[in-house]
Amino acid sequence: MKPDLLIRGRLSTLRAASIGLMLALLAGARLSAADVPPPFVPGFERLARHDEVAPDVAGNLLLAELSCTACHPASNPALRPKRGPRLDGAGNRLNAGWITDFLRAPHQLKPGTTMPDVLHRLTSVEKTAAVEALVAYLGSLEQPFPTFKGNGATPVPVAFWNLGRIEMGRGLYHRIGCVACHAADEDYETVETSPTPLDKILEELGKEELQEMGLAATARRVDSVPLGDLKSKYSPKSLTHFLLDPHRTRPAGRMPNFQLGVVEAADIAAWLLRDQQPRRDAENEVSATATGRPPSIVADEAANTLVEQGQTLFVKFGCSNCHDVARVPHGPRGKPLSELDLAAPVQCVGSAGPGLPRFVLDKTQREAIGAALQPSDGNGTPDESPPAARPADADADAAEQVELTLLRLNCLGCHERNALGGVGRYRRAYFETYANVDIGDEGRLPPPLTHVGRKLRTDWLARVLRGDGAVRPHMRIRMPVYPAEQVKHLPAHFEAADRAAPMRSDATMGTATADLIEAGRTLLDTGCVQCHPLRGNALPGVVGVDLAGIAARVHPEWFREFLLAPGQLKPRTRMPTFFPEGKSQNPRVLAGDAERQIAAMWHYLKQAEKHRLPAKIEAARSQSYELIPKERPILLRTFMEAAGTHAVAVGFPQQVHYAFDAEQVRLAIAWRGRFLDAEGTWFVRFAPPAQPLGVELMRFPPGMLLAMLVDSEASWPELDTQRASAHEAGYRYLGHRLDQQGVPSFHYRYAGYEVTDRILPDGKHLLRTLTIRRRLSDPPQPALWLRGHAGKTLEPDGPAAVIDDRGLRVSAGALGATGRLRRRAGGMEWIVPLEFAGQTSLDVELRYQW
Amino acid sequence: MVSDIGRKQTPVRGLLRLATAVACMALVAGLDRKGAAADEGDYYRLISVATSEAPTDSRSKNWRPAPNGLALEVSGLAVVDDQRVAVAIRKGEVWFLDGVYDDPPLDVTYQRFASALHEPLGLLHHQDAFYTVQRSELTRLRDTDRDGVADEYRTVAKGWGLTGHYHEYAYGPKLDREGNFWLTLNIGLGLKGPQLTRTIRDATLGYRQGRWRGWGMKVTPDGELVPVCAGMRSPSGIGMNAEGDMFYTDQQGNWVATNSLHHLQEGAFFHHAEALASMSLPGSTIHGVETVPGGLPYPEALARFPQLRPPAVWFPYEKAGQSATDIMLDSSQGRFGPFAGQLFVGEFTQASMHRVFLEKVGGQYQGACFPFRSRFASAVLRLAQAPDGSVFVGLTNRGWSSLGTAAYGLQRLVWTGKTPFEILEMRARSDGFELVFTKPVDVASAEAAGSYALASHTYLYHSVYGSDEIQKRTLTIDEASVSADGLRVRLRTHGLRPLFVHELLAAGVRSRDGEPLLHPRAWYTLNQIPQ
Repeated sequence: MKPDLLIRGRLSTLRAASIGLMLALLAGARLSAADVPPPFVPGFERLARHDEVAPDVAGNLLLAELSCTACHPASNPALRPKRGPRLDGAGNRLNAGWITDFLRAPHQLKPGTTMPDVLHRLTSVEKTAAVEALVAYLGSLEQPFPTFKGNGATPVPVAFWNLGRIEMGRGLYHRIGCVACHAADEDYETVETSPTPLDKILEELGKEELQEMGLAATARRVDSVPLGDLKSKYSPKSLTHFLLDPHRTRPAGRMPNFQLGVVEAADIAAWLLRDQQPRRDAENEVSATATGRPPSIVADEAANTLVEQGQTLFVKFGCSNCHDVARVPHGPRGKPLSELDLAAPVQCVGSAGPGLPRFVLDKTQREAIGAALQPSDGNGTPDESPPAARPADADADAAEQVELTLLRLNCLGCHERNALGGVGRYRRAYFETYANVDIGDEGRLPPPLTHVGRKLRTDWLARVLRGDGAVRPHMRIRMPVYPAEQVKHLPAHFEAADRAAPMRSDATMGTATADLIEAGRTLLDTGCVQCHPLRGNALPGVVGVDLAGIAARVHPEWFREFLLAPGQLKPRTRMPTFFPEGKSQNPRVLAGDAERQIAAMWHYLKQAEKHRLPAKIEAARSQSYELIPKERPILLRTFMEAAGTHAVAVGFPQQVHYAFDAEQVRLAIAWRGRFLDAEGTWFVRFAPPAQPLGVELMRFPPGMLLAMLVDSEASWPELDTQRASAHEAGYRYLGHRLDQQGVPSFHYRYAGYEVTDRILPDGKHLLRTLTIRRRLSDPPQPALWLRGHAGKTLEPDGPAAVIDDRGLRVSAGALGATGRLRRRAGGMEWIVPLEFAGQTSLDVELRYQW
Repeated sequence: MVSDIGRKQTPVRGLLRLATAVACMALVAGLDRKGAAADEGDYYRLISVATSEAPTDSRSKNWRPAPNGLALEVSGLAVVDDQRVAVAIRKGEVWFLDGVYDDPPLDVTYQRFASALHEPLGLLHHQDAFYTVQRSELTRLRDTDRDGVADEYRTVAKGWGLTGHYHEYAYGPKLDREGNFWLTLNIGLGLKGPQLTRTIRDATLGYRQGRWRGWGMKVTPDGELVPVCAGMRSPSGIGMNAEGDMFYTDQQGNWVATNSLHHLQEGAFFHHAEALASMSLPGSTIHGVETVPGGLPYPEALARFPQLRPPAVWFPYEKAGQSATDIMLDSSQGRFGPFAGQLFVGEFTQASMHRVFLEKVGGQYQGACFPFRSRFASAVLRLAQAPDGSVFVGLTNRGWSSLGTAAYGLQRLVWTGKTPFEILEMRARSDGFELVFTKPVDVASAEAAGSYALASHTYLYHSVYGSDEIQKRTLTIDEASVSADGLRVRLRTHGLRPLFVHELLAAGVRSRDGEPLLHPRAWYTLNQIPQ
């Protein structure tokens, strides 16, 4: 048995092995291989062996996990046998040499295996012949490996099983949860290296003191599930495929599915097979559809005969009772479980009779089985009778079922429930958070399952068990998936088992009103958002369980009770009490009514995505993504509804901002107050248009600012806005230049003119300075005009300005006096002739007021 | 807060810490090589300049950059000198990174050069200025007052359509020998609402897209935007080969059977039919397409669609990557190992790099691709070779998915000086192929027909997403003979099919020292069988 190891790198003893041996010797059992350790059932070794579960539960655990009930039918469905791996495909999954060695001496090759020795009574010659036939048979069971389809979301490199990297696999093995059951590498360094204060206390206490203080279980080392000699058993390809879908071959699901990516699986396989040579599978396929070896061509009749003999033996020895192979029948069965007698002279345990499988059990294991087989009520009904036959309380029965399931699947290896299980003191350090953020044990250890039936809704529990309920993205540990058949009853059983204290119904949360929801939003700012993200948003540095969707996960009664007294439901939680003695600390919201406050938070969270984020989270978001010009202007090129897909937004510390449309070469929109949120532009895949955050939005009239007109009666050229129309009309946008203060000037060309366009806040208004240069010495013809304004209705406002019906006033300095207000299709416009009067350059000032 | 990002010399401590951690991991990784089969890392060592570990799913709508430091989602990469690189990042900035050649690079400093660019997807250092293609234009960035920060954002060229759909990425520029800037324009997908008001429609075929969407363009040194070729879907890589010809890569999707490498030639049409929306615009180089065949095997589609040109190289899906990106010519003359003059192609989804051998047959490029280096920290989008031959690799996987532990970053790939045993070249012959190896082969293994497996396939040309490999056939190796110097193997076979991809697995070949090939696979796109 592989020891798991002290964090500090001290080797433990081969404890379980030696205890097993010791007990076997004490029991006086006659073992042909005296150093054979007993089968390893994690829940039994950790708890039953130390009297932490009732003897009959311990015995039932063994009867089921050792698959006794595969041969000895039990009426209690909870005792359905674990059974062994499916052996279809064993021929190309398992190395023949390993199968041979394993069949010859299963317990020597894999100490702790739950497979009994079925060939123990054969003579050496008989055994050799039987193993040869069985290996030939199993070797003939070939099956293609499943194919994995890659797409944009799923990388599947060619021959991925050969790409595994030991170091990457080592990291995954120690971080995602493998070491919750299996032994860690003694050299692996976790981030947490020093013992916790509790460890120090435990170190100093003697065995009896620990017992007295009820700390024995806490102090105890938890033995690891043996892996056996993997490098002799698997190739990188077969182990990688096993890790990708363990339930395909092991439907019992004791090895759960970690939903690994194909390269992750290859990495872990590389780590587990690190001593294997060579480290790659031969690649002999050039076609994507051909997977696995081609069916082997059996050379001769002798080989065929051997395979047939092997199959006969496979049934005869009862192998098929535990190992499924398509179309192969079950072998002989024994007496029903209820008729078994451990004192009988011929049996499977200890010195087994001829034709029976031999289980080498130690005294504790035998006693446990004895207890389970013992009639429980003196009238001859064994305890394993179906639950419905007993007038027992259904909830108590559910509790027993939960306990047995958690023991059988070793859920308790990670999760604590009712003071049993948990990761244990020697494994804690392997449970880490990303970036090693310290948010306490809750932030890194799998959650306890005490009261979980009161806490989580059954549909949510079912989702978690399906592998679709990850809410702790900060944890490196992954909740794996168990076969539906093994866990489908758990949600209902948890609910029944934990029903104990009646809780208030949903109705007490009252009806959701807008005021209540807003109050909830306010309340979240005090205490909640400091530790919990909401809809993926969080205060700086905060990682934890996102509160969005909580109503789909937890029962409202639990929510209420947890808020009122967190420590009562979850000892040692970091969740503080906001309602000491049931009283609110915040009298300003909902008159300090604790019940209504809790209801308010519940209702807000229930539909959080429909409402604004809490103010502090909004502020934190702004910190990260809101562009707040402080000393210099800030620019953002983005999509904007009002400024098009070539928008250049410019924000000023003066709180007046605008966006320039670099496609239509025009000032498009201005606003005041807050500028823009850049998150969508910077980081959102679907590139949503940026929305002005401020107020007093003013859109400027579309169309060309400058045009050449034959005379003052000529109509202003209109643009087809569906095209790159300014370009077609002769405009060439040339980019922008930033001055020392970071203020941009836009440059463009139109006909024979080059324009510099600089727009600046002027108080709460905008001042636009156009510098227009003639590029040719001869003035281009016809004359250049500027359209200062256009709208539905325009009125003169002083001698050099016009104002529209929306309140946008445009003035053009002295030049404005020459402007002409005229009608056009659908409205009015104000045009100004630009006279160069022999100069090569002309400055125009436009002032926009609104 | 945002406005207060230091404009100069901003050391990004979070990144440094990560880089240190990665450097330490690289030391531990020595474990991997203990007496084992050859590892890519023995020949090409990966140094992390800055990588960011992020637990957030790269496709999450709540994606966030790492909380500390710069979101170094490298979308453009330009080597400045032997101290610095300049990188464009997807949020729209250009940064100088100084100290990037240190090994390990523990003292990298960051200086922002430009900002407020709209998802720039390329960066070129040319004539004392930087050029980048934003969504809407090719821009020249210059620091005219020499304060280290760009103040002139000159629009060199624009005029392609941008309806506002996220998929309308614009990539480039890369420079050719005539001083033209090349850029490529993604197709829009499923345009709707206001996006449609910014489209043009081809009257004959009915396709609607923004103008020149799905086209490869060049911009002359005078700033004229010239359409060259069309039919691109997601052309995220552009590059020049040793002869000065320009190429681009495309990515599997609608109309694109699998990733591909194409020679950018005037009038050529590649994949995506909706690019023909611009067929009738002035300047178009594609004329007279009346119908687009669909649902045909690729060789048949080529026969019915004269403008359609086969790729120089197909990258079979999964086997040779899942999203091809940048193209880089190894112009180091040996400082990057034995592949001088070959092209390297980035790979997004599998966070890796491929290598390409090209030859001209019948006047057109065709050739083979090979796996080269995997295990980058994230999706490989950009490649740039430094004067010392090492290659900077820009990473970002946001929006899609990739292998690797990081969401983004910058790594550097350095040749260790050891020559890997690889297929250097795979050349087509009238009756098979000639393989050139980087080291002399073991004659017995190289002359054994069983050391090789050869198969061929083609694809469907159709509007749906990607294509299976179709019309597969296994070929037998009739003879394998080794040249006197041991560097060449002639494979003779029968049943070569023109326009089919020929997939080779040379798993049995050993070098004289008994090494297996580091990458035993190659895929040759046999558009023409040489006579």
